[in-house]
Amino acid sequence: MRHVRWLLVGALATTVVLLALYPLIASGYGIRFMLQLFMWVALAQSWNLISGLTGYVSFGHVAFFGTGAYTTGILATTHGWHWLPAALAGGLVAVLLALAIGFPCLRLKGPYFAISMLGLNEVMRVLVSYFEGLTGGGLGLSLPTLYASVPIYYAMGLAAVVVTAVAYLVITSRFGLRLMTIREDEVAAEAMGIDTARHKLYAFLLSAFVPGVVGGLFARDQGYIEPIAVFPLAFTITMIVMVLFGGKGTVWGPVLGGVALFVLQELVWARFLYLHQFLFGAIIILVVLFMPRGILGVLQQRYRLPRYV
Amino acid sequence: MTEAPILEVSELTKRFGGVTAVDRCSLALTPGRIYGLIGPNGSGKTTLFNCITGLAVRDAGIIRFRGRRVDGLPSHRVANLGIGRTFQVIRVFPELTALENLLVVSRRDRDGAVARARELLGFVRLDGLAGEYAGNLSYGQQKLLEFARVLMLEPALILLDEPAAGVNRTLLNELLTAIQRLRDEGRTILVVEHDMKVVMGLCEWVFVLDYGEKIAEGPPEAIRADARVIEAYFGR
Repeated sequence: MRHVRWLLVGALATTVVLLALYPLIASGYGIRFMLQLFMWVALAQSWNLISGLTGYVSFGHVAFFGTGAYTTGILATTHGWHWLPAALAGGLVAVLLALAIGFPCLRLKGPYFAISMLGLNEVMRVLVSYFEGLTGGGLGLSLPTLYASVPIYYAMGLAAVVVTAVAYLVITSRFGLRLMTIREDEVAAEAMGIDTARHKLYAFLLSAFVPGVVGGLFARDQGYIEPIAVFPLAFTITMIVMVLFGGKGTVWGPVLGGVALFVLQELVWARFLYLHQFLFGAIIILVVLFMPRGILGVLQQRYRLPRYV
Repeated sequence: MTEAPILEVSELTKRFGGVTAVDRCSLALTPGRIYGLIGPNGSGKTTLFNCITGLAVRDAGIIRFRGRRVDGLPSHRVANLGIGRTFQVIRVFPELTALENLLVVSRRDRDGAVARARELLGFVRLDGLAGEYAGNLSYGQQKLLEFARVLMLEPALILLDEPAAGVNRTLLNELLTAIQRLRDEGRTILVVEHDMKVVMGLCEWVFVLDYGEKIAEGPPEAIRADARVIEAYFGR
């Protein structure tokens, strides 16, 4: 297994260096494409931290993204904050929201938790639309003009790297294994002395921070946000499909799923506007039916790979 | 019975709607012994286990473990105080390896936990399967794994819910020997079991439940001859 580890480290280091140099030669389109790719990897990996590990399927994870986007938007427009601290503040507010909602909602089991998260997203969207004075309501919020595609490219990349590093640390630790026992059998986990409520809450808080930051960066990059654009259910669905496809509860599954499906989506979307939605639906069905563990899950089982792969 | 009881259940009652699953049940366990808990189906044995381990919330009564009240505590706290249990239906963590199944339980540092886990896998002769996913193990192996897992808690009191069910003769004898060895280490064991041969051979003291009430207790020979027990099992 030693050579596997070195191969992995080598491939990663090369990838990171190449991506860091990419802006030197990239076109504007190339930067935007990669920026969104990073965003999706970061979002999918965040969803993996709570749902892939504990099995508590969050159907409203985009709520943290939207909360981050609006936090950043408001700080930038009314207080003139720089994009970076504003995006970090977006992450922090998302964590506070997770803390407030986590206590009651994580007590709900299975589909009830999923639906409560769906509700959270709807509530957030309505709240944002309602407080027009602060958010611009349904008209949306225009942010001050900013030419910072390349810095935001790096920030998005860093967000994806950080959340993947967190996933690596969690999944290879006993804390991560304990999160998995919640997915496997919560009653047995409790009977074995694992404080499941506390573990779930920690995972939930971890999973909320990066979507908040990424939402803030997205807002800054787009320059204009509105409720339906930053709280779409479709974003959550995309995160879920990416993780299921790549392999839930693994370190690299969300990265693989994020990259593969984003590239596929861009290729198809550029040619046929609605076909990619059909394609995503088809992928969900196929993965659930034939490959519920996802690509990496299957490889791990077949080749007895360690958890860091 | 002069020694202070390790577990003392007094007047415990648990109702599900109109059904009283456990009815003012009292029992006391002395440390270092093997106890049996028997009774017809639906007599409240598993519910009693659930109440003791905090998986079910009792309606009335007091449970003391080493003199300390544990009724009303969440399940994980009860487990960490030293009450371990296995389940009637196997509940291993299928997508964790056999080794990982044990590692998650221990609160020692990682090296200490790995050492203890390997030792326990050896104890139940699963050391060759440490890296295998628990879900891929056979029924008997999963049963042994669950048994090893509860020992990772270093429990002073172990509640075993039908350890012999579905286990072949060879495995059963090993399991019984293992239980006796745990008793010799000073642990207290309470076994729910349907196989009367197992109960009579293993237990030093037996409690009998019927419709949630404790109808008899005593040494196995006395229980076998008890008129109320015979009536509960076979009718009048």
